Amino acid sequence: MIQTAAIAALAAVIGGVVAVSVRDSRLVALGLLLALVASPLASSPEPSALAICFRAVGALLATYLLWASARSQSIASEGSGIGAVAEIAAVGAAFAVGWFAVPVKPLAGPAAAQAAGVALVALAVVPLTGRNVLQVGTGATLLVVGISLLLQAWAGPPTSAQQIALTVLLVGLVGATSLLIAPAQQLSIAVESAAKATAATAATAATAATAVEAPEVVEVEPSPVDLPAVVVATPVRTIGIRASTKRTRRTSIPAPASPADQADTSGAAADVAPAAPDEPAAPVPAPEVPAAPRQRFAPGSPRERRLHPRDPRR
Amino acid sequence: MSLLAFLIVCAAGAAIGLVDGDSGPASGRVGRLAGLGGLLAAMLAALFIDSTTRLSFADVTLAGSEYSGRFLACAAGSGLVLSLVALASGWSDRLAPAALASFAGLAVAVTAVDPGVALAAAAAATTAGAIVLGREVAGSDSDGRLAEMRTIGLVAAVFLGASLALSHPAWNGPSASPAFVLGFCGLGIGLAVRSGAVPFHVPAVRMGLSGGRFSPALLLVWIPAGLGIVTISWSATTFGMRSDWLDAAVAAAQVVAVATIVLGALAALVHDELEEIVTYSIVADAGFVLLALAARNEAAAEPARMWLLAFIAAKTGLVAWAAAVSRAFGTSKLGRLHGWLRRTPLLGLALLAVVIATLGWPGSPVSEARSTLVQLALPGGLQFVLPAAIILSLAYTGRLLIVGLLSPATEVAAARGEMPHWGSRAAATPEPASADETGAAAGNKAAATATGTDSGPSNASVSLPAATGGPNATSRLLQRLASVWQLNRTLEASLAVVVGASVAVAIAFGGFGTSDASQFGIPLDTAARATPTPPPPPTLAVTPTPEPTLAPHSTALPTNSPGPSQSAGPSTSAAPVKTAVPVHGPGN
Repeated sequence: MIQTAAIAALAAVIGGVVAVSVRDSRLVALGLLLALVASPLASSPEPSALAICFRAVGALLATYLLWASARSQSIASEGSGIGAVAEIAAVGAAFAVGWFAVPVKPLAGPAAAQAAGVALVALAVVPLTGRNVLQVGTGATLLVVGISLLLQAWAGPPTSAQQIALTVLLVGLVGATSLLIAPAQQLSIAVESAAKATAATAATAATAATAVEAPEVVEVEPSPVDLPAVVVATPVRTIGIRASTKRTRRTSIPAPASPADQADTSGAAADVAPAAPDEPAAPVPAPEVPAAPRQRFAPGSPRERRLHPRDPRR
Repeated sequence: MSLLAFLIVCAAGAAIGLVDGDSGPASGRVGRLAGLGGLLAAMLAALFIDSTTRLSFADVTLAGSEYSGRFLACAAGSGLVLSLVALASGWSDRLAPAALASFAGLAVAVTAVDPGVALAAAAAATTAGAIVLGREVAGSDSDGRLAEMRTIGLVAAVFLGASLALSHPAWNGPSASPAFVLGFCGLGIGLAVRSGAVPFHVPAVRMGLSGGRFSPALLLVWIPAGLGIVTISWSATTFGMRSDWLDAAVAAAQVVAVATIVLGALAALVHDELEEIVTYSIVADAGFVLLALAARNEAAAEPARMWLLAFIAAKTGLVAWAAAVSRAFGTSKLGRLHGWLRRTPLLGLALLAVVIATLGWPGSPVSEARSTLVQLALPGGLQFVLPAAIILSLAYTGRLLIVGLLSPATEVAAARGEMPHWGSRAAATPEPASADETGAAAGNKAAATATGTDSGPSNASVSLPAATGGPNATSRLLQRLASVWQLNRTLEASLAVVVGASVAVAIAFGGFGTSDASQFGIPLDTAARATPTPPPPPTLAVTPTPEPTLAPHSTALPTNSPGPSQSAGPSTSAAPVKTAVPVHGPGN
């Protein structure tokens, strides 16, 4: 029979893996929320309903602080330092070690709590050595959660006073992270307003575009230094634009684009033409669009599809 | 009731201060009032905390003691003095809320009867340090924030890990001493990192510089003092066991403490920035707390408590002094502060008082405390630390005073001193007024105080409205008072620093009942004594003792027993006990 403690321990570990592996700050907050909510449940006997509610409310408050701060500042984490697969493998190994090791005999709590504690402690090592404040804060939080799980396994279920103190500590830790991440990482983040402007432009153009002939789809990656890119609607017809998220791998501040890339994108920016919703795009001279400010590439940057008409000679 | 009032005041003051500080630059008055009022109310509430104070709900029990009350009152009073100095020399939106938040955590830590609660609360109090670094450093490098995040995470982890070791689980091994060694190392590392001991002094100095001129008081004085109180509770009891590994860890703590005391004072002697001098001075004196941890002697508890009270008051006074000097002359570089003592003699008096409060006088409680800690914690070959610390402290303080007696530098000569100004010379000396003070003279007080930042040295005079009779006499009087306040910022800051330094001297000489309160510990000391110390490893005795021991074995606890960590629960008496009289060395 599967016990609640085992499920909760597994959920805490999964939350921890998500928190340290992803770059999107919302997913980091979600992973932390899962770990913080699940960790008190990995106890035997289960804590009282009041204690569980207190821990849950504290987890919600903590992750809301992080989410709100990261959202307002467009903060992104650096993601996993060793890769998601290696992260999962290390966590799995640590979980197995924690499951079968017997440092305390007899255990005062479930073995699953001990395994999850060892796994979270192992998981927190790499983020703690990083230079990203959000990453370090996430690692510190997971480390404290892991130690609290070990406390549950080795010293028995915590008292209500300990639950309250631990909740305050976790809220303070995540709150400190949310305070300290604010102004430091503006060089490595996406500019939120630019992304919104790009998305709005893309939506307008998508509504206006109509397919006349079978188009040839060409995907264009915008240059890192020219966000937000501008949608092109010239003789070249646009039938659809998809904004998706594409991130560079383990690099938050890539090298500047080559001059050729800059020339390409700047040339495309001069070809913007408004199109009525129900009319085919006419070859109207494009108005002058002010050049976008130079910004660095960051998570959340859009990817465009430019559609070129088929060559009639083919 | 007083403990509950203290916690409520701290929580409310911190919340209001944070919310108001974030709502915009023009709405900081409520935050200032909440910060100052909260610190004042917290100090008053803490004065009523004694051994009869008890707060219980559900299974949560907090018990006060004489020392807990004095400690919290000293911390809150120091915060109040520093906030008053900040009010006159450049308000910091985050200082008072951060102080109140950390004091709330420290209050729980020094009144909890459960070691797990105390350690977690102390770690939670550490997280409040992020508040002063959250906004102050916008635009500066991120190393200070990263260092603070690592410090907070490390302290939280090691303190929680120490509670893991101190909860006495049934270790599956021949001895539990490795766990205690790890616990001792965890507490020592947490204390050393937070107080900026020598291997970790660079991040501490960087944090102090990044967080503004008042942040060292919170990051390096108040929070480490609270951690020190919690940490030394186990020094003589749980860590009193003899083990090779534990002895090695204690030796490492001794080396760190000696290096911190000596090298910190040397660094204060050679640096030229006031903030760096102050920070290294704090770091050096924090080494005595590490000595208390390394002493592992019950007699070291009382001098450690006494020293912590004097440390809080004196070092807060030093931070306030540096902030007042920097504000008065618009620079913190010692090379440009020649002649500061001539222009601000009150600040010179305050600096002397701070030195006296730190070093004491032969026979004074603070001097005895330092001497006892060195004697109990260090072997004979390292006893030179005490005279070395005194000499180096006098040296860097004397350097500051000598620089102050030199011919005034340009900045010092141009700055306004401590002479009171009433605005009557405005017409005779039409100096160009800064925007800040002109706004104040015109009655636009909001414009004068909206920035909330240091306006630099004030060397301008303004024309003041005459407080004569008439229908608008009251408003004119208020305008005049506001203008006089603006004109005499240097004097006001100096007076606040003098008050703080005087209180520090009184505390260092046993005033306000601190000497008596130091004889009693905190409730955690009782819990630590109730925790069974692991038995020493069996030795091959030639003549076995015939008497059977009646002491229970530490590992014989049943699995579902509440455990030693709860042995001092509500049913048991949490009243702190008087510790042994400190052993004084020859000549004392």
